Amino acid sequence: QRVLLLVASDVDALCACKILQALFQCDHVQYTLVPVSGWQELETAFLEHKDQFKYFVFINCGANVDLLEILQPEEDTFFFVCDSHRPINVVNVYNETQIKLLVKQEDDLDVPAYDDIFRDEEDEEEDSENESDGSEPSDKRRRFEEVFMEVKLFFSSFRREILFDYEQYEYHGTSSAMVMFDLAWIMSKDLNDMLWWAIVGLTDQWVQDKITQMKYVTDIGILQRHVSRHNHRNEDEENSLSIDCMRIAFEYDLRLALYQHWSLYESLCNTSYTSANLKLWSVQGQKRLQEFLADMGLPLKQVKQKFNAMDIALKENLREMIEESANKFGMKDLRVQTFSIHFGFKNKFLASDIVYATASLMESIEKEGPETTNFIKALDSLSRGNLDKLHQGLDLAKKQLRAIQQTVASCICTNLVISQGPFLYCSLMEGTPDVKLFSKPVSLCLLSKYLLKSFVCSTKNKRCKLLPLVMAAPMDVEQGTVIMVGIPPETESSDKKNFFGRAFEKAADSTNSRTLHNHFDMSIIELKTEDRSKFLDALISLLS
Amino acid sequence: PVMSEHSERMKKFKNRGKDAAALRRQRVEVNIELRKAKKDEQILKRRSISIAAMEKSPSPGEDKNPVIPLSLGEIVEAVNGSNAELQLQATQATRKMLSRQKDPPLNQIIELGIIPRLVEFLTHADNAPLQFEAAWALTNIASGTSEHTRAVVEGGAIPAFISLLSSPHMHISEQAVWALGNIAGDGPPYRDALINCNVIPPLLALVSPVTPVGFLRNITWTLSNLCRNKNPYPPLDAVRKLLPVLICLLEHEDKEIISDSCWALSYLTDGSNDRIQIVVDTGILPRLVELMGSPQLIVMTPALRAVGNVVTGTDEQTQAAIDAGVLAVLPLLLRHSKPSIQKEAAWTLSNIAAGPCQQIQQLITCGLLPPLVELLAKGDFKAQKEAVWAVANFTTGGTVEQVVELVQSGVLKPLLNLLLAKDSKTILVVLDSISNLFLAAEKLGETERLCLMVEELGGLEKIEALQTHENNMVYRAALSIIEKYFSGEENPDLQPGTDQDGLYNFSVEKQDFDF
Repeated sequence: QRVLLLVASDVDALCACKILQALFQCDHVQYTLVPVSGWQELETAFLEHKDQFKYFVFINCGANVDLLEILQPEEDTFFFVCDSHRPINVVNVYNETQIKLLVKQEDDLDVPAYDDIFRDEEDEEEDSENESDGSEPSDKRRRFEEVFMEVKLFFSSFRREILFDYEQYEYHGTSSAMVMFDLAWIMSKDLNDMLWWAIVGLTDQWVQDKITQMKYVTDIGILQRHVSRHNHRNEDEENSLSIDCMRIAFEYDLRLALYQHWSLYESLCNTSYTSANLKLWSVQGQKRLQEFLADMGLPLKQVKQKFNAMDIALKENLREMIEESANKFGMKDLRVQTFSIHFGFKNKFLASDIVYATASLMESIEKEGPETTNFIKALDSLSRGNLDKLHQGLDLAKKQLRAIQQTVASCICTNLVISQGPFLYCSLMEGTPDVKLFSKPVSLCLLSKYLLKSFVCSTKNKRCKLLPLVMAAPMDVEQGTVIMVGIPPETESSDKKNFFGRAFEKAADSTNSRTLHNHFDMSIIELKTEDRSKFLDALISLLS
Repeated sequence: PVMSEHSERMKKFKNRGKDAAALRRQRVEVNIELRKAKKDEQILKRRSISIAAMEKSPSPGEDKNPVIPLSLGEIVEAVNGSNAELQLQATQATRKMLSRQKDPPLNQIIELGIIPRLVEFLTHADNAPLQFEAAWALTNIASGTSEHTRAVVEGGAIPAFISLLSSPHMHISEQAVWALGNIAGDGPPYRDALINCNVIPPLLALVSPVTPVGFLRNITWTLSNLCRNKNPYPPLDAVRKLLPVLICLLEHEDKEIISDSCWALSYLTDGSNDRIQIVVDTGILPRLVELMGSPQLIVMTPALRAVGNVVTGTDEQTQAAIDAGVLAVLPLLLRHSKPSIQKEAAWTLSNIAAGPCQQIQQLITCGLLPPLVELLAKGDFKAQKEAVWAVANFTTGGTVEQVVELVQSGVLKPLLNLLLAKDSKTILVVLDSISNLFLAAEKLGETERLCLMVEELGGLEKIEALQTHENNMVYRAALSIIEKYFSGEENPDLQPGTDQDGLYNFSVEKQDFDF
């Protein structure tokens, strides 16, 4: 039986896909892979393939809508859903026949009890049937507060309330790559490559700010045990590294983006954490950067040249030195727990390097070939045999990070972030440099998050520091559409829960705005440029 | 012992010259109990909702002025105090607690000992809101278990509620009707206590052409509870007072009022023949038969049940139902999609088939045999069981000609198939029917022919198999048939041989009654 793989366009999904592909290869399962960037593509892909396939695997898509409702599959069709999007639609959770969810057991889904959301409905049907089924009248009757119709109303509002509470916030569960790795491990088919993909998947969630710091650290701990299980042998024989071997190691490394493939200086300038904390968009910020470098005692020449070419003696205690100075400058979290990978002798990457490179490949705006080219390229870059693609990705990622940093700086310097009351709002104008880059969801989200961090560091308005951000960028000039994303407030204790999905939906409904909820993240929408202002007005009054 | 049990069973048939009263089978009590239990379960289920949620979102029907939540202690104090304002507040708070969906605190409220005070409030004619709140609260307490109802009655509620029936405020008298319904529904003792307190006249006085439908529904339900329950039945003079009004309500256009009136009549007919007679004498049977054909299940079900009860009565009472047209409606009901209706209709038919052959003849004339055979062949199993009884009664009481007609309608095949039933009782009734068929065949000298038919339809095999049945009676009955009609394979009489002319020698004179 051939299987159809429907894979969303995010790095975690790609990693999960790689693991599953490897498992399929082990078991000689035939499959067809279809990348899907949104609901429209998903529906089209399903319709195109539903006659040839009975088994469908959804990776990082499908969990948060009623799949049976929107796809109307035949009864002998089965959906396997591995998706970190939360909340999972309750019908998917409670359907026991056609939908199989791949979820880690420890993941608390907080799903409302079956009885609360479904049984009442059946009971009511029974009751109303009962009323007309001619059974004997009850011998005693209590007079309720409401008459029967109102009781029904009450029940449905009660159910609505429960569902509303459950569906109110979007968030992310365990990385799909990790879930898939768990599956491989349970089947005793886990390989070091798969483990690396699981690491990259988790790191993607962290880079994209999808999970809490707590969740990240917990999951790192889980993966660390697997890493030592898979890589202990190599540690004894440090010198036995051959050209085709790979080794994964736990690192307590700098959170400076791509620094080992860039110059330390560039990385410091284009990493959100350092750039926001040092406020690099201002003259004082640049001065602070100089002071920071001076404090470390690193010669500017060394800092600005390629990291590879840096003086080895300087590199030896680099991490400790930087950390010490960073502490003085109020950057207490410059080091993070992560993993690195060695391919052969000279290729070493941090997990975040791979995330940036793969994401950039996936959203590359350099048009070449059919639409799936980017996806395939990004997927390929995850295989260790494709270093050239990986390097290509690294280059793209550097461009992207620079573009983000420049855009952030210009938005802050020109006061483009404005408080709308319940949220901050920033809209990129057509004609802004690199604006095309931000018509893509992952890039736009990254930009929004970096912008919000920087804004929070730049503003003195304490209330504004606690606000979420809505960001819009031109999407398709010819069709007159914008892409809009809402992100939760940037606070240290943030639970990363996002209420914009529901809010967007309501605002669109109440204003009849022409919007398209096409993305698997409900907090990203497309809408007609002309409808933007009434949509925003509705959003403001909705959230006020 | 086998024989005595057999004759015990035979007594249940209505047959010429036998104990007629015992022939009609009364409804099996268990079914009703089960039905009731299921209903109670559903009511309980309906309460499955959390209190927190209740309190969080007030229902749309909530009054405008919010009730200040009072502690139970405060309620006791206020109810026992003399401040009318506080009394009302506390009574309303009590009523609200008792009206919520989940876990109404019946026991707690009873334990507060405030019921006598609440009953006293019923008499405060100058304070209608207080009367109303107290009446509602007491209604809900009385809606609980027998113990809860008892607490209300022992608080002196019966006379108080009966006088409230005549309250000038309609919502108060309606609440009194409801409360009295709950008390009457508890069982014969309180039902009769109400009747002895003369509840009927003021209750009936409330029924008028201008009574609102909602109110009338409550009244009808309470009236039906006054007719409900046996051991003992409600006093006859009470029944005589209630009947004319029920007959009247049966003409109402509201289907719930009709339904509850039908239920009342079904209770009244679910008894001895003299009680059935009182209902028959009202001349209501044609209307009941008409309602049996209603497309509304809530009307059809109790109407069918009432008529079904009537035909458990005497031949004359059964005839009254036949004259009212029951046989014209039954075919539809035997083919009804709902198994419970099929079953009830077949039960009714079986009791008509237990009547004298004139009634059996009417049954044939009205075309009941085809739906009966259909039901036997592919009805719901419970309905099949009733249909088997109908066949057994028919073959017991029918003339030879009538039995021949039954066989010609194709009864044999589905009847023999039911020998595969899991239920020994049913198998026994089938075997009995088969014996009866053979008796008729013997009278016609068509025994061999019937033997052949039974054998061709695979019946012999099945009867033979029943000789190893674990139930002794089944085994005996099967053995008896085999011995009587199928034992002598060597017996030339039973061998379908040929004479010189090549004619089958069992094709005897009575060609008319060819099976």
